[in-house]
Amino acid sequence: MPTITINGQDYTLPDGAKLNAIQAALRVGIEIPYYCWHPALSVVANCRMCEIEVGSKDPATGEIKLIPKLVPACQTPAKDGTVLVTNSAKVLEHQRMIMEYLLLNHPLDCPVCDQAGQCGLQDYSYRHGQAVHRFVEPRIVNPRKDVSDQIQLNQDRCIMCTRCVRFTREITQTSELQVVRRGSHAEIDTFPNQPLNNPLAGNVVDLCPVGALLDKDFLHKQRYWFLDRHDSLCTRCATGCSIIAEENQGRIWRFRARFNPHVNDYWICDEGRYSYKAANDPDLLASMYLRSANELVPTPIDQALATVGSRLREIAQSSRPIAGILSPFLTVEEAFLFASYLRNLSPSAVLALGPVPRAGQDVTFSPDPRTGRTGDTSFVVCRPFTIHAEKCPNRRGVELILQHFQGQIIDFPTIKSQIASGQFAAAYVVSDALEPAFSDDDASALRAAEFLIVQDVHVTPLARAADAVLAAATFAEKAGCYVNAHDRLQYAQAILPPRDGSLPDLDIFAILANRGSAPIESHTILAELAQTIPAFAVAAGGHLPPFGIVLGQPESADYTTIPFADPWLAPRGRQTLLLPQKPPQREPVPTA
Amino acid sequence: MRPDDPQLKRLEPPKLNLLEQTYLPQILGGLAVTGRHILQSALGKTFTVEYPREQTLRSPNYRGVHRLNKDEQGRVKCVACMLCATACPAHCIDIVGATAPDDWPDREKYPESFVIDELRCIYCGMCEEACPVDAIELTSLYDITGFSREEMIFDKAKLLSVYDVTKDAEPMRTAPLTPPDQPQPKAHEYATAIEAPPGTSQP
Repeated sequence: MPTITINGQDYTLPDGAKLNAIQAALRVGIEIPYYCWHPALSVVANCRMCEIEVGSKDPATGEIKLIPKLVPACQTPAKDGTVLVTNSAKVLEHQRMIMEYLLLNHPLDCPVCDQAGQCGLQDYSYRHGQAVHRFVEPRIVNPRKDVSDQIQLNQDRCIMCTRCVRFTREITQTSELQVVRRGSHAEIDTFPNQPLNNPLAGNVVDLCPVGALLDKDFLHKQRYWFLDRHDSLCTRCATGCSIIAEENQGRIWRFRARFNPHVNDYWICDEGRYSYKAANDPDLLASMYLRSANELVPTPIDQALATVGSRLREIAQSSRPIAGILSPFLTVEEAFLFASYLRNLSPSAVLALGPVPRAGQDVTFSPDPRTGRTGDTSFVVCRPFTIHAEKCPNRRGVELILQHFQGQIIDFPTIKSQIASGQFAAAYVVSDALEPAFSDDDASALRAAEFLIVQDVHVTPLARAADAVLAAATFAEKAGCYVNAHDRLQYAQAILPPRDGSLPDLDIFAILANRGSAPIESHTILAELAQTIPAFAVAAGGHLPPFGIVLGQPESADYTTIPFADPWLAPRGRQTLLLPQKPPQREPVPTA
Repeated sequence: MRPDDPQLKRLEPPKLNLLEQTYLPQILGGLAVTGRHILQSALGKTFTVEYPREQTLRSPNYRGVHRLNKDEQGRVKCVACMLCATACPAHCIDIVGATAPDDWPDREKYPESFVIDELRCIYCGMCEEACPVDAIELTSLYDITGFSREEMIFDKAKLLSVYDVTKDAEPMRTAPLTPPDQPQPKAHEYATAIEAPPGTSQP
């Protein structure tokens, strides 16, 4: 096991780990400040913030030799015998000097900057900078400009870390961004008439350590510290990217990517990034409805559920067939509870998969250590990123549950024609799709059932044709697990409370199935599911590891699969207060 | 300033002499004031104010109704940074920020809506203190009334109109910002302006 020495203390590193000094120090809780380094991008060492004293230890004599000059930590491999000094007077003075340089032309407009609160410059100014600005010349003022319809660049805030440039060259390999001009006139720009419009473009906003690249969708709307953050999953496609959803005043304001080495690395696609808008739609179903005298009448939740439950029970007791349609937008817990409810009610109930939306082709970005790279790639772990054509989060999970309950999977066109031929006395359709999923044609076909229940969030033609409409939860209003395209079971936190007049699907099923009055938790249902269906045995206990778990496969973890976030984006506030952290001690700098 | 700054002066409280240590001179001084007032009221002098026929003069730092200041061009000074809403302990300020119009070159952001619930406000003045551009100030108006709760929720137009009403009686506490096309004052000029007491301007 390689041993490295940081600030006079020895630490061991995992065998075979290819880490740089920043990563090695971060593992043992020592933070080396940096801006331009990013674990997925090649090392260019141009911000100079991470420079530290580096040396080596002679294994025979134990003698330590330090390199006379400071060395960028992002470029320094952490190998056996490496000695790092991160808190000497020389290093601290260097950090203060770099901060003063970076702030020479920075406008200090933190009050109106959207990055304030999650800004690398703010954090490091506080920790490593100084309160006095000695530069008396006029600052460079560079007006804001658009690099695409969606993204704005405030060039005067930029610190030329070139993370965004490297992202477009190395990850998307589209190279829209570049640095033009030199010295203090350098700026980020696009080529004429070639805006930054690749499908992953929004990630440059997440990557930017300062407030230079900003998303116009979020621009000037909220302050970072007003937002509550929830670790959730994107439900836009079958990839199931990990996201951080930021919410305030009962609506979602933005999604940001959350690191998951097995699924989405550090990125999310723009389609997923803006899919949050579906949860803010003011026209979502806001009440339950029952048909009376050929008209849908708004009904209190308890009354609607009681009527639906008793009608279904009547039909089941008279041994007439019931069809249940489970949408691929349901969590596995909801699908399991719904399937077991219908099967308990009527063992002959037929369960089918709802419509699976598809659009276009799978798009895969495969960064490799060579293409587009200009710097050192020894510490980069390249992982592909796929945007799936299947635009639903949980087809695989619902299919596994259907497989368990009836041994076969009936697709939506089949069940639709069966219902249209009048085979079923009752049809219970659960949808919760991100976009309205049913057409007039579906409505007239399913209307052939004597009693049609539609549980959805949108007002669709099918809902207008139904006998009972149950207002359920959007992706944001429910917690639960999804199985992504690669069989990875992941947990998504709820982001918003349920809308007025609606009830989360899990609660609807629990009430219908008479599970008692105690509030229902997705963890309890997941634990039951893991006991009942062998395919979900890995979820025993109902709690999943942070990166999720592959069904039927023990979790494989190596040294690269530990949570990561840039220090200025890492969770703070209450959580930081709980950790016993010492502020960095600054030794007085000797004056010449 | 750092605690080890050589320019830092440490002041000690003055030592009390023997008489002062008995506290008797202070107690007697206080009793004399009380006695004088007793005598004056016995001779028919009144100390109460017949409000509302008679108005008192509030101290200049009295904290009453808010106003939103305007700049020289009559635009709202606020840049919608929401620091007042952040500092507000009563959560009575609601701001909707928006990108500033293109013909405001000095500004990136402005408040599309700025609402203060004057009933919820506790008039602590934290908003005024938090404001980086001196856009929100508390005036000395204190006797605001309304027939409904809705009337007491002041929007941007109303807060700006408070400025119009009070700007002559209570000028803005800080000088307006220098327009961007004129020479900007240097930081050391600000420092002397703040340090020099009024009337002692140096040549």
